[in-house]
Amino acid sequence: MPRETFQRELDQLVEEVVELGREVESSLGTMVEALQGQDGEIAKREIGVDSRFKERGAEIDEECMVLQARQAPVARDLRLVYTVQAVTNHLVRAGTLCEHICHAIVETGGADQDSDLSATLSEMARGARSLFGEGLDVFESRDIDRARDLEAADDKVDLLYSEAMNLVVNPNKEESGSPEWRVRAALMVHYLERIADHGVDVGGRTVFLVTGERMESAMRQYRERRIDSDED
Amino acid sequence: MSEVSGERSGIGRDQGDQPSPAPKTEALGMKTENLSAFYGAFKAVTDVDMEIRPNKVTALIGPSGCGKSTFIRCLNRMHEVVPNAYAEGCVKLGDRDIYARDTDPVTVRRRIGMVFQKPNPFSKSIYENVAWGARINGYRGDMDELVERSLKRAALWDEVKDKLKKSGFDLSGGQQQRLVIARTLAVEPEVILMDEPASALDPVSTQKIEDTMAELKERYTVVIVTHNMQQAARISDYTGFFYIEHMNDPGRLWEFDETDKIFSSPNRKETEDYVTGRFG
Repeated sequence: MPRETFQRELDQLVEEVVELGREVESSLGTMVEALQGQDGEIAKREIGVDSRFKERGAEIDEECMVLQARQAPVARDLRLVYTVQAVTNHLVRAGTLCEHICHAIVETGGADQDSDLSATLSEMARGARSLFGEGLDVFESRDIDRARDLEAADDKVDLLYSEAMNLVVNPNKEESGSPEWRVRAALMVHYLERIADHGVDVGGRTVFLVTGERMESAMRQYRERRIDSDED
Repeated sequence: MSEVSGERSGIGRDQGDQPSPAPKTEALGMKTENLSAFYGAFKAVTDVDMEIRPNKVTALIGPSGCGKSTFIRCLNRMHEVVPNAYAEGCVKLGDRDIYARDTDPVTVRRRIGMVFQKPNPFSKSIYENVAWGARINGYRGDMDELVERSLKRAALWDEVKDKLKKSGFDLSGGQQQRLVIARTLAVEPEVILMDEPASALDPVSTQKIEDTMAELKERYTVVIVTHNMQQAARISDYTGFFYIEHMNDPGRLWEFDETDKIFSSPNRKETEDYVTGRFG
């Protein structure tokens, strides 16, 4: 196949993105563990990951720029380079939010907590991590069938977000937690919701990579096509 | 006949003296229906249906030997100049069939000008290179004004205005190509066909030709054959991809779409393989 070097560079780029994504996913796993156990020591392990993720993101960005300058990618190659840049941004952003949450866990260690809100936070964290991982799986496998499920999973995280915000605004009078913890909890709720959104966006970007259509439009066409083929 | 009217626009037999071509902005588009081209018994291109939009640049791309140049030559009846070569199907300029019996091919070629890969100025002065075509077409207006206007539209005026009496051959390759474009413009065509007009030029000259094309489409319809993918992506509004699926088959128009679509997410795999350089 012509352009072997170019293809190798593209493959390597994708590998680097997936690798970065798996590292972020691993940090999210640690964050979930720290949140569930309210363990500041575990959370401390992830302090500092943000700068590492940003550095890796900048390297991938640079490689994309050089590829565009040297290889003038078009069509699927152009969509890939464009998608890699966008996905990398989502991964790095999710990593940054993960570190913010770990900071919050460390800084509120030992503070009084609202057990209901705590439980909802943990459930949200598990949902967000899982969604992020699934988004990354979609990107790695290019299996856009699975991208359809991401939005449904995100609806569940959004429901937990509403529930958590409700608990923040209407605290349990007997066990409302310290004010500082409540403020941090509200921020964590927001961060977790954003992490889940980044996972959905990674899947959506993959739909564009494969089909050339924005996710909403591509999914609509896809559903219509499935109905047609079912009738055959 | 809705768009083509009056002597200037007619593509019937030339009537001798013609009125001065008036400067215009809106050009005519072209359309081919079931167009096939032959060299004797060999069918080089088959069943091309293409709508060439007016005042747009249409790029034709594809591997060598897939019929792009043959097709573009059919658009102004240059193909039939080759012995035993002929075309079947329909080619329209506006609403008029340029292959109709009462159509004079010479008039067709005036209305649909052509610029080739290798610059081919006449062995005359720069001025005469531009004036000659208009003169033999019976132009009766201000020739100096026509020459200046044509050279300006071809983005060459500033470089040659002080040496109009010098030979066209004294110019650089890129300048010669723009001189040929100016010569083509002097007879006020509707359509300008360009067969790899910049492939023999250096990058600076190529850039000037590309800039010229962007301005030309304001007044003319432009069709260009190019092997330079980036050039097609840069300068054209529509792109047609010609392709031969099996050896010895005739070339076909495999995909035709807006250029942005062809270079971002083409519909057919072969098109994508070609534009991304994965062909073969």
